[in-house]
Amino acid sequence: MPKCTINGKEVEVKEGSTIMEAYYQTGEAIAHYCYHPGLSVAGVCRLCICEIEGNPRPQIACNTVVTEGMKINNKSEKIKDGVKWVLDFHLINHPLDCPICDQAGECGLQDQYMEFGKYNPEMSERKVKKHKVVDLGPRVVLDSERCILCSRCTRFTEEVTKTNELGLFNRGDRTEIGVVEGKQLDNNYSMNTVDICPVGALTSKDFRFRQRVWYLKDADTICTGCSTGCNTKVYFNKEGIFRIKPRYNPDVNGHWMTDTGRDAYKFVNREARLLRAQKHTGSGWTELAPGQAAKDVSADLKSAAGDSLALVLTAQYTLEEYEAIIPAFINEFKTKKIYFWINNKESFDDFDGLLARGDKNPNTKGLLRVMEKHGLSGSWSDLEAGLNSGAIKTVVVAGPENQFVFPDMNEKIKLLSKAKKLVWMQSGKNEALNALSGDVTLIPMKSYIEKEGTYVNFKGLEQKVKRVTTVVSEALTLTEATMLMAGRNLTIPTTKELFVESNRREDEVMLEHRKKNEFVFRRGSL
Amino acid sequence: METKLLTEFYHLDEFRGIEGYKKNGGYVELAKALKMQPQAIIDEVKAAGLRGRGGAGFPTGMKWGFLPKNNEPRYLLCNADEGEPGTFKDRMMMERAPHQLIEGMIMSAYAIGSKKSYIYIRGEYKTPIRIVTQALEEAYKAGYLGKNILGSGFDHDMDVYSGAGAYICGEETGMISSLEGLKGQPKLKPPFPAVQGYLRKPTIVNNVETLAAVKYIIRDGAAAYKKYGTEKSAGTKLFSLSGNVMKPGNYEVPLAYPLKDLINGLGGGMKPGRKLKAVIPGGSSAPVLTAEEVERATLDYECLAGMGTMLGSGAVIVIDDSQCMVDLLGVLMHFYHHESCGQCTPCREGTGWLNKIVHSILEGRGRLQDIDLLMKVADNMKGRTICALSDAAALPVLSFVSKFRDEFEFYVREGRSKVRGTSYAEMHH
Amino acid sequence: MSVVQNTGEKKNWYLPGIFTGLGITMKHLFYNLLNRKKMITLDYPEQKYEYSPRFKGNHILTVKKDGSLRCTACMLCATNCPAECIKITAAEHEDPSVEKYPISYEIDMLRCVFCGFCEEACPVDAIRLGPEWQTPGLSGTNFIYDIQKLAYRPQLKGGILTHVDDEERHKAGI
Repeated sequence: MPKCTINGKEVEVKEGSTIMEAYYQTGEAIAHYCYHPGLSVAGVCRLCICEIEGNPRPQIACNTVVTEGMKINNKSEKIKDGVKWVLDFHLINHPLDCPICDQAGECGLQDQYMEFGKYNPEMSERKVKKHKVVDLGPRVVLDSERCILCSRCTRFTEEVTKTNELGLFNRGDRTEIGVVEGKQLDNNYSMNTVDICPVGALTSKDFRFRQRVWYLKDADTICTGCSTGCNTKVYFNKEGIFRIKPRYNPDVNGHWMTDTGRDAYKFVNREARLLRAQKHTGSGWTELAPGQAAKDVSADLKSAAGDSLALVLTAQYTLEEYEAIIPAFINEFKTKKIYFWINNKESFDDFDGLLARGDKNPNTKGLLRVMEKHGLSGSWSDLEAGLNSGAIKTVVVAGPENQFVFPDMNEKIKLLSKAKKLVWMQSGKNEALNALSGDVTLIPMKSYIEKEGTYVNFKGLEQKVKRVTTVVSEALTLTEATMLMAGRNLTIPTTKELFVESNRREDEVMLEHRKKNEFVFRRGSL
Repeated sequence: METKLLTEFYHLDEFRGIEGYKKNGGYVELAKALKMQPQAIIDEVKAAGLRGRGGAGFPTGMKWGFLPKNNEPRYLLCNADEGEPGTFKDRMMMERAPHQLIEGMIMSAYAIGSKKSYIYIRGEYKTPIRIVTQALEEAYKAGYLGKNILGSGFDHDMDVYSGAGAYICGEETGMISSLEGLKGQPKLKPPFPAVQGYLRKPTIVNNVETLAAVKYIIRDGAAAYKKYGTEKSAGTKLFSLSGNVMKPGNYEVPLAYPLKDLINGLGGGMKPGRKLKAVIPGGSSAPVLTAEEVERATLDYECLAGMGTMLGSGAVIVIDDSQCMVDLLGVLMHFYHHESCGQCTPCREGTGWLNKIVHSILEGRGRLQDIDLLMKVADNMKGRTICALSDAAALPVLSFVSKFRDEFEFYVREGRSKVRGTSYAEMHH
Repeated sequence: MSVVQNTGEKKNWYLPGIFTGLGITMKHLFYNLLNRKKMITLDYPEQKYEYSPRFKGNHILTVKKDGSLRCTACMLCATNCPAECIKITAAEHEDPSVEKYPISYEIDMLRCVFCGFCEEACPVDAIRLGPEWQTPGLSGTNFIYDIQKLAYRPQLKGGILTHVDDEERHKAGI
């Protein structure tokens, strides 16, 4: 464990750590672009220069290993001046695109220029013109002029996905990022290149021009796209959720997440959601408040209590919700006919070697755990037999939140609608459900970002998430629906914000900031 | 007078073929070397004080000593990517005496225990590629390459590889990248090539002249080789004399040879009626010397370093008073801008910026502050990048502007050259 | 606020105050009657006051030479707006040199406080506060100005051009 001194502060680092890691450890500011903790060291941006005592030449922090007793400093005038110039070198050919650049507001160049910049640019020559709006693939757009050639994206495709779609072409200041001829950047991790791009060179087609980043708030949650449970950040405002980015967690996803996981906001937004409860009676659909709908079915369920009542669960709800609904059905409705709806049996154990898993449910382990605890072992064929023979008359379904990963949706709706009475609880709209006739009640559910709870990922890791925002305020959680269906009233939970350590956002402007007139938000990360 | 050690038989056409080479003492020392202990060869080279002839002047024996002491496969690469403007000695060596290089390489490979070596020749050198390839075939046929060379039990294979012609591939790690089939971009150091080079294995990269000189150290012994030159700069060196002299060409002289003797004696002096203005002593990236500095300069590593310039690859470019320094800097900056690999920001952007500033001065758009800006930009490019290309572009700027500032200022004020009296546009029409 | 309390005997003498006031009124009455040209009051709407050219009236969206909107939908005006009355929806333009443009740009004139911050925030001189200010409407919806009204209303005669055009800017290498 070598000890070194960073700007006068002594710090002990791990054997073999670089100076950059030591800086990260102390929290001292150091300018850098090309260094990314999840990638190899390229050492090309030359911004992280620092002075090492006894070494006449400034060294780059990202490629210099700390040795015992090293005295490192990046606060001297010489280094500050050097950083200013290197930043200026980055900027001389960078277009003044900020107003139309999606990265503005969370841009590495902007942030670092504010902190380390030269402020009196001396470049009076023409800028180099390169290609703009280059289509790299189905999800990513490149603007070569904005690119500062940090090579993070090429290193990502080389080292992480090992697909090698991206490369650096040409030489000198004509260098451009591009895809290898005949290839497209269309692997399932391609949007990570957008995240790691420190400038607005790589932008996501999905998010492009939809919002300025300063209109978005962010909050931590996890991805419910598959059983890996990648840690994510959702970016939202009152109009809904706009994008999802990965959050570092060495135990789950490291720095990355899949492109499919980034679509997980699409079924959460209002356009895709069931807004009010719907009830089909003889004459057609009537709309009513979700709570009312749940109360209404309560009597029917009570009367149907017993073996003619069945509950179908998908593995898309939280552990707490299962802990509420399963005991309620066993104890209050006296049925053990509780079934697990597996969406894609064939590809359930697939794994792409990086993050994406075939099990497209966030909480399969959690559901199985609760079912096992209550001694449930009903197989799907039992349910089919029961429905076909007419032994099961009433079915309550906790349907999927993310319907895109349920290819058997229509088929299952057809099967379950054989029941005399169907109560279908789900967050999203579905045309096949609305096409049903008979005694059907649809109850809107809250999505994963609107509730607190625990998800258990594929390796049994419990991940607690807190509520992010509300999209459909009337929608119910499965726990609330259970309470109403069981004839109880909703109670306001007495435990105060169970999982929330602090309600304050990290970048919230507090009184002391206001006094100092500090309104600089530190959104986004390098 | 020239001191012909390496170039002794270069005037003979037959020296190019294996028969003629053997007739004139070829491959004799190889047999001698293969009977020596490898470490003894390294020690001999160390004792001879041989320094890299490619530009940096790093002691060769010491470089070889950096190799890890294990049985890992290791490579010897011959750097024949002679890209430095003004240098043409390696071309002559490969064209006139390919076997001299091959023999030196086999000895060196034996010394460092390498079983495979490559001669990396720059893409534009079509003739040397052909000649060296042919020589390799001859050497294989004669049993100097391949399995069990001369019954010593030492196996060695040698190949010629050619890049597409890029200045940056003359940088040792850039060359390694190119040889690996990647884009020719220098690699981050550490790790140094002697530890992790070609295919992540220990690799030694030496210049053509360095490797050829090994043969003569083995032949005459370290002490004899050391007689040439000075204590720190030992041996002879080929100098490529070019520019405004009467007899340009390659001249082999011992190190510490006076620069003015090279120009006025061997080079035949200036053209009639012309005066010496400046000399670039070590290839285009070496800072320029003024006429009065030339009087004092001797061609060895220490003297030139003391004058703020370097011996480099030994390309002496003579500039007489008919040349405009702004024009020359414009040509140099165009070259470095074109050749920057684009990896490190200060070099990628800086070379382009310098080129633009110099050309805006040339085209009459210059401002007086641009001259200071040139200095500032160059100053901040120096020593800030992975390889030395950034320095190579910055050093000429710093020396040209500081030593010939009046010409630059005249150009900015008048929009025409102080020497030529015409503007850039007029010159090009 | 400081209050002067008059506690003396004179506080009951109100007539001198009334006559002083009446005196001022009479002075202005006769002054205006005798110097009608110097009278401040205007005969609105026959007469209208000439405001300074920097008057901040109704917004104008400027146009390029080809008549398309100058606005790049950077939303800096909307960000800067203290009344939050600007609403912009951006979209991708077919022409890669334009890239981003607004498909809808709405200003709620009733919310607008005419501070001119939008004009100052604009990096491309796309929004200006013009000289118009008499813009009555019959219902609230008349005051939500869209692109058609902001850039191409009849008074603007096909749109206001800005000084620097895109092409010139690109040519200059900016």
